[in-house]
This record gives sequence, structure tokens and C-alpha cells, in this order.
Amino acid sequence: MVPLSQVWTVASYVIGKKLKGVKRYPLVLMLEPLFRCNLACAGCGKIQYPDHILNRRLTPEQCWAAAEECGAPIVSIAGGEPLVHKEIDRIVEGLIRMKRYVYLCSNALLLKKRLDLFKPSKYLTFSIHLDGLKEEHDESVCREGVYETAVEGIKEAVKRGFRVTINSTLFDGANPERVRAFFDEAMRLGIEGIMVSPGYSYQKAPDQEHFLQRNKTRELFKQILKDRKKSWKFNLSPLFLEFLQGNIEYDCTPWGNPTYNVFGWQKPCYLLQDGYAKTFKELIESTPWEKYGFRSGNPKCANCMVHSGYEATAVNDTFGSWRGFAKTVKATLSL
Amino acid sequence: MGKEKKVLSGEKFVFSNDSQKIEILEAAFDYRGDVTLELVQGQTIEGYLFNRQLTEAPFFVEMLVPGEESARRIPIEQICAVTFSGKDPADGKSYEAWKAKKEKERREEAKKIESEMKQAGLLD
Repeated sequence: MVPLSQVWTVASYVIGKKLKGVKRYPLVLMLEPLFRCNLACAGCGKIQYPDHILNRRLTPEQCWAAAEECGAPIVSIAGGEPLVHKEIDRIVEGLIRMKRYVYLCSNALLLKKRLDLFKPSKYLTFSIHLDGLKEEHDESVCREGVYETAVEGIKEAVKRGFRVTINSTLFDGANPERVRAFFDEAMRLGIEGIMVSPGYSYQKAPDQEHFLQRNKTRELFKQILKDRKKSWKFNLSPLFLEFLQGNIEYDCTPWGNPTYNVFGWQKPCYLLQDGYAKTFKELIESTPWEKYGFRSGNPKCANCMVHSGYEATAVNDTFGSWRGFAKTVKATLSL
Repeated sequence: MGKEKKVLSGEKFVFSNDSQKIEILEAAFDYRGDVTLELVQGQTIEGYLFNRQLTEAPFFVEMLVPGEESARRIPIEQICAVTFSGKDPADGKSYEAWKAKKEKERREEAKKIESEMKQAGLLD
């Protein structure tokens, strides 16, 4: 379970922003201290850069300054593979000192070897990339044996008392029954919860196919989440899961998950690169937010139902009104 | 310009007007490899063009140049030509392209990448 202190931190943060009338505020800082990865997954849009870019690193000081500047209570360290960063332990330690809840996203290839660098803390969660059972995951990351290594890393981290979740991206063609079996298997590893999201499919025009794509996503999640097992714990807002099944309509809140990397603050979101701002303030003030999100009609956003865009919307809904809170309670109790 | 991103590698564009300049600088921003800018004073700069402001003043592009820590901001009036000088590392790397490969090719590519990662000290 997510510690109560984390729920309370997020709730009081969102309510505080609402009371102050702040329209756009960050919930999760997506921090990419490097783009270098030790996997080369086909279709990954994060690592295709020239070597001199892949060799760049954010310093711990830059990471802490970004967290300080945006103020998000949660920091998700992504990349690239964060465990490749030689100062990842210092980065994490500093963020914990700032009382930020850190989700360190990793493919776990180096997890067992690097685990000694970290101490278990309620502020630190290893969020391990697993896209399915062995066959599906190894296919997804384009290398044999990665699933087994990741599972070993998860078991070791759980044994040593770390908070561990998995993050899974599901693509077109995922088999709902296999995904359900994968959730069973993942929970047996002793993890705290599952983060799951549809993959981002970048299309050029909002034609009929797009709507089918969005409908397909909803259909897939309906099938996966029907008769949900009590043993499955999700590290996601219950309302985001409702959104994925098509039970709630939301629009994207890209400012909820701002991204900071070696280029600066990415406009407008974690997935689209439409330029960079030097400061978080500049990002918030200079990005034409109305041009992004499903309702904007932007073809690049037509199919996107990814958690980096919609989880913040769901959390905002939960803590933004009594009605939203009641919806969340209802969604939670219906599990 | 009318060219797909994948065929830009190696192409050089000398600007004939402002709208063409904006179109090509936009393509350079989208490009995942290094580009070389030729400046009106005769200087050339090669690096990764990661940012641009082409629709409102001040008009500029920003580049990260190998060996330099800070980004360079270059006013667009100083740029007279762009060459897509670096290989596009995203070219041919789509999931569809991967799926279309034969099993043997995929295994060989995965092994090659694994061995490169080990040599680079990124894997045990």
C-alpha cells in the first residue's frame, strides 16, 4: 500500500493549490538526468540522440534545483536508465532530504549491483519496468533474459525492505488474459503495486483510425480490469483506472507532470517535444497549453491516454471537490 | 521542402527566403541527429539543435555542441544554410521496423547492442 503520509502529502498539496487559486501546478516532476540506456527498445523515443547528447548528465545540484523550482511532491526519475548515472545515489539522497517521494524508474538490469547505494525509506520506491510476462517483456525490450534479471532485482529489493512497484506499458495487441496472469505474477513478487498505462501511439491525423485506437484502449482495459482481483494493487488513482476503461472522460493536464532533462524544461509534456524553457516559471507561462490535450484537437494528442497526462487530471479531480472525492471512494469500494 | 525526415541525412539547404528558412529550421529541430549551421559571417557550427523560437521575436535556435557545457543561442538572421550532417539515430528504429525484421536479424541486433553496452560499462 502507498504510505498514508504520501497520500496525505499529495492531498494537502492539491487542496492547498486549489485554495490559493493556482490554476496549473505540478504533481509529479519527471526528471531525466540522462538519456543513456543499457537497453535499446524498438520504438523508444527517449534514447535516439547523438553520442554527445547521450553522454550528458544532469548534476545532482541541477536535479535538486529543478525539484525545488517546481515544487512537485513526487519526483519520478526516468531517462535513459537512471542507475547508469554515476551520482544517482546522491541525486536520490538529496531529493529525500527535501522530503520528495521519489520513484526511481529502472529496467533493473543493474538493480542488484546498485542496491547497496540506497537505504530503504518511505520516500524511495523502485519502479521497475515490466511490460508483461517473460515472453512479452523480453519481446518488448528486444533482449532475451531481461525479465528474469528484473524479477531477481525486484525480489532482492523487496527482501531488503525497499518499496517496489512495477510500471507496465501496454501496446496494441496485448492479450487481456496474459496481462491478468502477469498482474497475478507481479503481485506474487511482493511488490507494493502496479502502474499501468497504454503506450503512446504517435499518429499524424485524427482520422477514424484514431478513434478506434482510443476505443481499443478502453476495450482492452475493460477486459483486463473486469472482475478485478482483490490481490491486485495499483499504484494509480482509482479514477485514472476508470478513465482507462472509458467510464470517465478527462482531458490531459500536461502541466501536472512537467519534464526536466539535459535540454531544460520540456514543452509541453513528457512525450511531446515542442521546445524547451529555461525555468519552470517560463514553462508554465509561455506554453500554449490550450493547443494540447485530447479536446484541443491536436492530432499528436488524439490517441494519448498515458498516465503522465491523465493521472494528474484524475488526482486533481479526486482532491478538487467533494464530488471528485466521492467518485474516488466509490471507485475504490467497487474493487 | 517536401521530404520525409528519414531522407534528410546528408542533405544541405541554402535558404532562398524566410519561409523556407523557417521550414528547414523546424525540420532541423525535429531531426534526431546533429546538424551543421552555416552563418552569414562564414563560420560553421555543428551540434544538436534542441530548441527553436521561429514564430515570435526574438527568433533563434539553440544548440548543444560537443565539448561545450552550455547551449549556444543563435539568432536566425545569422544562419544562411543548414546541413543535416549527422546520422539520424531514430531512423529505422520504430517498433514496426523491429517487428518486420526476421527473428535471426533481431537476435543478432540484440546481441550486438548487448555487447556494446557491456563494452561501455553499462552492463555487468
